[in-house]
Amino acid sequence: MAPILEAKGIVRRFGGLVAVNDVDIHVNPGEMVGLIGPNGSGKTTLFDCLSRVQDINEGQIVLNGHDITNCAPHEVAHRGLARTFQILRVYQDLTVIENMELSIQWGEVTTRNLFRRPDKATTQKADRLIDFLLLGRLRDQRAGNLSGGQRRLLELGMALMSDPSIVLLDEAMSGVNPSLVEEIKSRIQILNRDLGVSFLLVEHDIRFVQDLCSRVVVLNFGAKLAEGQPSAIMENAAVIEAYFGADGTESDEA
Amino acid sequence: MKNLLTRSTLNRVAGVTGAIVVVYLFVLPLRESTTNSTLFTLTLMLTSVALSINWNLTGGFTGYVDFGHAVWFGIGAYVTAILMSEQSSLLPQQWPLVPSIIIGALVAALVANLVGRMTLRLSGPYFSIAMLGFFVFMREVVRVSRPLTNGGVGLTIEPTINRPLWFYVQLVLVLVLIAFSWWLRSTRFGASLIAIREDETGAEMRGINTVRTKVTIFSFSAFSTGVFGGMWAYQNTFVDPDIAFWEIRTIDAIMGTMLGGLGTVIGPVLGMTVLFWLREILWENFLDFHLIVQGFMLGAIVLYLPKGIVGLFADDSPLMQRIRGSKQTSAFDGMSSTLDDINQASEAVNSVEAGESNEDVTI
Repeated sequence: MAPILEAKGIVRRFGGLVAVNDVDIHVNPGEMVGLIGPNGSGKTTLFDCLSRVQDINEGQIVLNGHDITNCAPHEVAHRGLARTFQILRVYQDLTVIENMELSIQWGEVTTRNLFRRPDKATTQKADRLIDFLLLGRLRDQRAGNLSGGQRRLLELGMALMSDPSIVLLDEAMSGVNPSLVEEIKSRIQILNRDLGVSFLLVEHDIRFVQDLCSRVVVLNFGAKLAEGQPSAIMENAAVIEAYFGADGTESDEA
Repeated sequence: MKNLLTRSTLNRVAGVTGAIVVVYLFVLPLRESTTNSTLFTLTLMLTSVALSINWNLTGGFTGYVDFGHAVWFGIGAYVTAILMSEQSSLLPQQWPLVPSIIIGALVAALVANLVGRMTLRLSGPYFSIAMLGFFVFMREVVRVSRPLTNGGVGLTIEPTINRPLWFYVQLVLVLVLIAFSWWLRSTRFGASLIAIREDETGAEMRGINTVRTKVTIFSFSAFSTGVFGGMWAYQNTFVDPDIAFWEIRTIDAIMGTMLGGLGTVIGPVLGMTVLFWLREILWENFLDFHLIVQGFMLGAIVLYLPKGIVGLFADDSPLMQRIRGSKQTSAFDGMSSTLDDINQASEAVNSVEAGESNEDVTI
């Protein structure tokens, strides 16, 4: 089966600094792939390259069979890729439901429907997703009044509004309390299992990655250090050295 | 006290006030005591209000603060004057009024489209300064293009003006603009403008073609301001580079919008009207100090009323909460006047606006 997202030889330089150095990464349909690595290893930069928020210096990216190497981010979104951001990007002054409505399938926006209001189907879909993500009772709250964890959920909901085939989650669990982490985890699993949504996720919580992902890619200094099943990766000496430090304790926190 | 100032009561009061003002404005030219000079002053006020509304489309809704907005006014005015005046040696034949104004506005929109494609890539202060630069650039281009524009001497248009008629035309156009901006705010296009203002990368990533959206609204804003520029040129019967490209028009549009409520539908209308009459009153009473007093008051407004007059009546404003005597849960409690607050003009206010009549225009 052809991968849903495939990137080959991605290079991203900032002046003399090579942030991403010749990285190959792919996500198969229905797969959940974890992307881990110490701070500054190029995880978010790679995400930005994949979602075309940043230009790449070398390499090629194919999404659902289309070459998106030279596409604008909104075109990538139309082709079925959604993402969340490490720094939260919800519209603080809008209510939860408005945030969701704003994020509806912009791919379908044509000159004809551009000047219409959000229709009933949009609102219903937003309501369903809000309930699914346990935000139902906060429907009409300003997003700015939500807690960090709730905003993460909202951002995930906004990403899902466009019916993506693949979602890139950038540290979806940072600042989320442990009980909510379990909830978010179960929601992601349902989305993956029942709806076939693929995920590529950057995460610092190793247990989270182990529980969710069938494959893990490790970055270090912008290059791919290792790739494989989570259990194998956790025993890989080079990974333990780079990620946890020589003594085996986690050396960095986001 | 609690139930006196509910949202629906406030909306009703605003709607009735607006309706009274509109009716009054429509009746005004019919009264014998109304002079042509009063009507011209009111026409100028309507022009300022229109510029504020147009500026707010890019500056308020989309978050691109344009320091050169008056350039579209100048282009509209000059193209109209060139087409209508005998003094332009390249185009000596005289065009009729309405086609001239439309062509002037179209030229403004076209130039905005081209300039916007370049400058709207810039963000924050870079965009603002680039537009200021373009404004100064255009003024000097007009000054040196003597065969077409008659240079610094300016162009005269033959006066055949019917003041009451033009007052009505502008009044109707301003009402249409208010209705348009209210309607736009409720569409997906309007929503995508807000999305760009709040977070452009996020908007792009959610599938909004941000470049096209920004250029479209920027061009429309230029077109609309160009129309008012053309009408002004005709009524003023004379243009020269310094009065057609007058930076005060930009400053007024920004100040009026800030005073009323940035990014709201009714804010620019309310703010510009207040600002206009404030200046008239200050000018009459403190001729020597009127600009000092005005500057001081505006500084105070930005510091203490970052969400403008409209923000005062929002459900989450400290004033409303104190009057109602109830504390609602709100992140705006003890509202601080940080830059963030100024930047993130209250969406809550907008949703309140959407419920209001589009006629609550002026006080």
